Amino acid sequence: MTAERRTKFQIYLDILEALSDELKNDSELQLTKIAHRANLPYDRFRSYLDYLAQLGMVSSEPDGGLAVTEKGAEYVQELRRNSEFLRRMGLMQ
Amino acid sequence: MIREALVLSEFVSIGLALVLVYFLLKICRFTRSISLLGLPIGFSHLALSYTFLALYLLYEENAIFSDSMLWLRLITQSFGCAFIAFSYYFTAKTDKPVRRLLMVISVASVLSILTFFVALLVTPPFLVLPSVQVAGNYSRVLNLVFLGYVVYYLVARLRSRDREFSDLVSAPIAFSVLWLAQYSLFIWGVDGSETAFTLAHVARLASLILFIGVYYSSGRVRR
Repeated sequence: MTAERRTKFQIYLDILEALSDELKNDSELQLTKIAHRANLPYDRFRSYLDYLAQLGMVSSEPDGGLAVTEKGAEYVQELRRNSEFLRRMGLMQ
Repeated sequence: MIREALVLSEFVSIGLALVLVYFLLKICRFTRSISLLGLPIGFSHLALSYTFLALYLLYEENAIFSDSMLWLRLITQSFGCAFIAFSYYFTAKTDKPVRRLLMVISVASVLSILTFFVALLVTPPFLVLPSVQVAGNYSRVLNLVFLGYVVYYLVARLRSRDREFSDLVSAPIAFSVLWLAQYSLFIWGVDGSETAFTLAHVARLASLILFIGVYYSSGRVRR
């Protein structure tokens, strides 16, 4: 059985959730680790991350790190609700 | 008194269906997924069918107008059920969003229209419109098939996911209750049972409330 393809919004959700989880840890932020958690090749992960930064969901910190903005956090909340609704309605895996 | 209660029930149904359509459209816009549009299109047709029934009840004295409203009600209701069923059918068949939506629209439209032609052909006298009650029973059978497919699809999916049972059971219950509403209407169409008629209205309201409940409970996501 083949795995169902993720939609773009599922990919954004995976990236933002992986990033939020990693930021909760005190250890140094590793983008390769987040890419791995979001199940994406690094180059594609970078292009999605740049796009999320353009949208104001992710911001660069002065120390070179990354942060999920308030807009990003709200977006994650809404994405979670929507994907959960679609899952419960049987329209998504 | 009964008529007022029926009109009120139709207006409540319209309100609930429109709230559901609003949520579904919001999700389609947010996810930028046109393949999911079949569901809001389906529920908006159901909202239209409740509107036509309300208009029928309000202007029952005008025979030509009220008869037209009943016909429009039957057509929009079958369209609605067809759109919902084919949204599920093509979700499982293709992952190409545009193709999926086009297939849902075309197959749902063709099948719904075809049913009314069959109703015209099999009901004597030929080339004369059958009574709206006779056509209503044909369309209810079709609606039962459509909604039955959705229930079957969701229950089959549920059986493969034992651990998520409590999360995923609400949608098949909501569709089963909507199916029950159609079945009760069918029984009412056959024997005129008042109990079936009342049950149809109660079940329809309950199913719409359940769908909205699924949306709200999705906001309390466990991670």
